[in-house]
Amino acid sequence: MKESLERICSVGWTNFKRNSYLSLGTTGVMTLVLLLFSGLMVVNFLSSTIVSSLEDKVDISVYFKNEASATEIGAVRQELENLGSVAKVEYISQEQALNDFKQRHAGDVLIQESLNELDGNPLQASLNVKAREPSGYPSIVQFLEANKFRSLVDKINFYENEQVIKRVQSISGGLRNWGFLATMMLAMIAVLVTFNTVRLTIYNQRHEIEIMRLVGGSNWHIKAPYLVEGGLYGALAAAMTFVVFYPAAFFISPKVESIMPGVSLIGYFVSNGVQFISLVSFIGVLLGVASSFVAIRRFLKV
Amino acid sequence: MIKLKDVSTIYDNEIEVLNGVNLEIKDGEFVSIVGPSGAGKSTLLRLMTRELLPSRGQVILDGVNIVDLPPKAVPLLRRKIGTIYQDFKLLSNKTAFENVAFAMEVCGMDEEEIKNDVPKVLGIVGLTDKINSFPNQMAGGEKQRLAIARALIHRPRIILADEPTGNLDMNNSYDVVKLLMKINELGTTVILATHNREVVNIIGKRVISMDKGKIVRDQTENGRYVL
Repeated sequence: MKESLERICSVGWTNFKRNSYLSLGTTGVMTLVLLLFSGLMVVNFLSSTIVSSLEDKVDISVYFKNEASATEIGAVRQELENLGSVAKVEYISQEQALNDFKQRHAGDVLIQESLNELDGNPLQASLNVKAREPSGYPSIVQFLEANKFRSLVDKINFYENEQVIKRVQSISGGLRNWGFLATMMLAMIAVLVTFNTVRLTIYNQRHEIEIMRLVGGSNWHIKAPYLVEGGLYGALAAAMTFVVFYPAAFFISPKVESIMPGVSLIGYFVSNGVQFISLVSFIGVLLGVASSFVAIRRFLKV
Repeated sequence: MIKLKDVSTIYDNEIEVLNGVNLEIKDGEFVSIVGPSGAGKSTLLRLMTRELLPSRGQVILDGVNIVDLPPKAVPLLRRKIGTIYQDFKLLSNKTAFENVAFAMEVCGMDEEEIKNDVPKVLGIVGLTDKINSFPNQMAGGEKQRLAIARALIHRPRIILADEPTGNLDMNNSYDVVKLLMKINELGTTVILATHNREVVNIIGKRVISMDKGKIVRDQTENGRYVL
């Protein structure tokens, strides 16, 4: 069995070497597919990072009318805290809001002077509400918009954030869909190229195959080297993908970090290296073996 | 024992190559099948190795209708049958040793067996001194003997030889036939398809004459080439 496997692998490797230019071309096309797939994973990582950081920043700010008393606001807060979907509620009084505002704009003389000109406090008391899950916000908004709070609540600012999240999700979804489509198309081309390469190998070795059949070579012994050959195209393409991908990720990573502080592209693909390498290698080998399998079924009658 | 029962083969739904052939060949027989080109000799042999399936009828080998064999069992059937062809079907990039060893490798034999058996079988066909020669360094008769060695490597019970002397001069043809007769004397059934009159007359055993896909004569003993 061991010798048999060795022979199959050795014949597969010989087939690969015999058509070196064709093999390199096939491997090149497959590398493109795997690089595109890796690019999709980058898009996926970045978009999910952006969405989750946005989701982290999302809260609902409920601004109360000036007539609302602290007791009334306290009652609203109490009711909100009793909701299962609410994680945290923070009360910001008018005074605190004004102090925060002044601190934020401490260096801006014009704002400071404008505030001094005013008679009263122009800012409103508010409650900042954090939900346990992003999906919980709509029901909290619905709760706040109910009739019993209408006389107290002036404004709820959740919708603006919701739009941003939806937009990021839609852009990343679009990128994913188009990327997936492009990957699929390139994968089909890779399958066709590999299929034709294996078909050519089968044609070139028709005499050997005929003899193998006549002397009673088992189907496995005749067919398996071509599967190995297809698998080799995939494995080599995966190796070439890593050779191109990791230096590229290393180069791009600081640029990504300058736009999105704290997000390390290379860090992500290094810490998830085993899974990434396994997945890309698996896809490469699967593409190669599947193409060979189709070619064998079509052209190798034993 | 090989039995063909009412076997017909039609190519492309219109060309009838065999027409209702009935035949029985006993173990250990030497049978020459003669006839002009297109008589159906090669088709008959290809049916026995299940390279072809008949359009009708049964091909029975050792009581099993090989027409019904599942594809997985076909390689095992072919290991019981050694085949020899006019064009030798040797691999030009392999030595004599490697050509024979190749037949063992693809059947999953181990290295030790190969090293042991190949020189022996090359000795039987008189090619010990050519063990490292490539086919293009060998004469026609030697190439055919190498093909016979390869056919013998699985110790088959049946040898099918399709025009094995077609590319050989009379001397080499005689050598090949002598070798086939020697193999037959050791108990192997030999079925030889040929239109070489001299060869058939030298053998002088059972001769089946075919024409237009039918058996027209079956001389069971001391047969001569007659159509």
